[in-house]
Amino acid sequence: MFIEYTWLVPLIPALCFVLVGFFGNKMGKTGGGYLAIAGVAVSCLLSVLISYEFFTSAAYASPGYYTESMTWFTFPGGFEITIGFYVDTLACLMMMFASFISMLIFVYSLGYMGEEGKRKRRYFAEVALFVTGMLGLAISSSFIEMFIFWEIMGLCSYLLIGFWSFNHPEGDDKADNAASAAKKAFLVTRLGDVSLMGGLFVMLYAFGSLDYTVVFDAANIASVDHNLIIIACLLIFGGVIGKSAQFPLLDWLPDAMAGPTTVSALIHAATMVKAGVYLVARCFPIFCEASSVMLLVAVIGGVTMFFAATMAMNNMNIKKVLAYSTLSQLGYMFLALGAGGYMIAIGIETGDTALIAAGSLGYTAGCLHMVNHAFFKALLFLCSGSVIHSTGTEDMREMGGLGPKMKVTSITMLIGSLSIAGFPFFAGFFSKDLIIEQALHAADYGTAGWIFIVLWALAIITAFMTAFYMFRMWYMTFRGPEGPKTQHCHGESPKSMTVPLMVLSIFAFGFGFVLLFGFDGLLSINVDLATGQFFVGGGHAEGLEYLVEFFTNPWTYLTIVLVIAAIIIAKFMYDKRKINPGKFNKNGTSWLYRALASRWWFPELYNQVSWKLGYGVARGVDYVDRNIVDGAVNGLSNAVVGSGDILSKAQTGNVRNYAAVVLGGIVVLFVVILALFYFMGGL
Amino acid sequence: MRERKVNKMIPIEFFLAFAAILFAIGAYGVITKTNTIIVLMCIELMLNAANINFIAFSGFLGDAMGQVFVIMTISVAAAEVAVGIAILLNAYKIKKTTETDSLTCMRW
Repeated sequence: MFIEYTWLVPLIPALCFVLVGFFGNKMGKTGGGYLAIAGVAVSCLLSVLISYEFFTSAAYASPGYYTESMTWFTFPGGFEITIGFYVDTLACLMMMFASFISMLIFVYSLGYMGEEGKRKRRYFAEVALFVTGMLGLAISSSFIEMFIFWEIMGLCSYLLIGFWSFNHPEGDDKADNAASAAKKAFLVTRLGDVSLMGGLFVMLYAFGSLDYTVVFDAANIASVDHNLIIIACLLIFGGVIGKSAQFPLLDWLPDAMAGPTTVSALIHAATMVKAGVYLVARCFPIFCEASSVMLLVAVIGGVTMFFAATMAMNNMNIKKVLAYSTLSQLGYMFLALGAGGYMIAIGIETGDTALIAAGSLGYTAGCLHMVNHAFFKALLFLCSGSVIHSTGTEDMREMGGLGPKMKVTSITMLIGSLSIAGFPFFAGFFSKDLIIEQALHAADYGTAGWIFIVLWALAIITAFMTAFYMFRMWYMTFRGPEGPKTQHCHGESPKSMTVPLMVLSIFAFGFGFVLLFGFDGLLSINVDLATGQFFVGGGHAEGLEYLVEFFTNPWTYLTIVLVIAAIIIAKFMYDKRKINPGKFNKNGTSWLYRALASRWWFPELYNQVSWKLGYGVARGVDYVDRNIVDGAVNGLSNAVVGSGDILSKAQTGNVRNYAAVVLGGIVVLFVVILALFYFMGGL
Repeated sequence: MRERKVNKMIPIEFFLAFAAILFAIGAYGVITKTNTIIVLMCIELMLNAANINFIAFSGFLGDAMGQVFVIMTISVAAAEVAVGIAILLNAYKIKKTTETDSLTCMRW
């Protein structure tokens, strides 16, 4: 009933984009904000109805998805490009949380962007397009369609990060310049996109089609060269690394903080970086073809998780701390997907059903963490936006003691921080503990198992660091002595900003409990060993079993103790001020402190590579352009002009000369004709 | 009928030779003379040489078409001379000369 109209889900925000973009200034003071909110609210409602219909329909049990598509165009070689939609549990989950969180962020934007005047039209049009990109990505039925929406998001992130172009309030380095941050985000993600496109070409070559139904079909996968699939997976993962800001390409996301805080919330919670996680989860049937690919996913995730968390430890910018924590949490998601996929891949190789069921839990953990993270990260960013709105600074040293002045913000942010830190029974606790458990579980299998021991250790250390830096941020902002900007702050933010915070904090606290109500049955992936076909379902526990599992596992207590210890340390350092943090880093001069402050020299590395390599290439290209291409063009034009100059001397302007030439010409013509007649055989 | 007439008439070669000489004189004048009025007159000479050829062939072939053409040519030539003289007068007003060597502004 509704599921046939799934295409409306991205189309409605797209229409809002067009309407707001053209007529926003005629829609009253909000510049079309209400229309954008209404559009995304309709999308949200529609996705809920679609999801309900899908879960109660026969298609859910078999084949596990509902898809409709039409031919867009056909290539002479017989390749068909189709356009359509593909609804399965993952798509349902994505569209529900993306549209819901976007709706709250839009409502919040009414207050946060309230003083932007005419620029609100541009803002609301662009965010509507951004949401179109994410919702379209979630429901697309083929890789090519997915790639289009993927690129729409890339464009919107560029436009929105650069929203304030060259005009940004105080930052801590030059890259805070919004225009260059936008450029960096665009170029770095573009590097990944090129890789993704290469992967799509390999897939098209291997399968002859890019439709999900074709590519994820077990019979097709079995008939295609195994190495081609591995190459395609690696290239696609390259795109994921760019989009989700993983290890080598992670540096654009902290710079992207130059955009408005609401945009950061959109990028980090609802759209953009989630697209990478979604793509890996979507491509599980082909990624699981090789355990080595999944190992790579897990290692990249683990490395990012750890390094990003270290960089958050000593940052003074409230938004940057959150940006690094996003990188770190994305790392957790990839670790979960990688560990789960690794077990599934080995399970397929050895025919071990129990191992596949265990790996399936990694998939569930990754997706659950994705949704949980969406809720608590949207909450945290919007809270930080509320603080910035009130104090006019992003530097935490100038805040402090804001708690009594901003009660709603401080309490909701506390809930978000507890959730991300993995405090027991908050949303983050469930998913994070599942992930840590998965990493340890994967270590028992395969020859590369020892790597997972390392990743598991990193995950536990990162959990400690996460709790520490989140509470460092919270105490520095809301507790302790009042900072210079606190005395002049505007107090609590307007209702349009605090209401979304309260709604989000409910989810940030409670969403983890879905795990106790059969979430893993809805969102898990399983393999039929006889046919090799992947299908949804087969979650292994319900009710209180997860809680029993968590609290009978001794490692869970280790994590909880570490988290609580980190919170206490942060309290003593930044609230009670009993421990001077400067003691540990020689007041900011130690090697480690400087390494972290300069982000492990990642920006430096980027600059060096782009200068040395990029500048050299650019100079070579410039030389060829100036001397060879331009030389050819200029030489040709010079030859034409020069010969024209010479020949124009013949034009004396004197009629007698012209007459003489005409006459001479006639005589010559006459003689020639006579001679011709003579030699050809007489007159 | 036609042969008898032809025998009585001046042979066509005479006409053609006369016209050729007239044309050559005109062409020589156009190329060598510096006075634009003389050049215009020489152009008339060349035109009339062509007219004579028309008449000669017309009489020789007994076809009136050639004579009709000549009448037409004469009227066109008259108009052309009128235009030519008018241009020349204007050029003279500006340049105070009718020398072709001085009237060379119509070039690049």
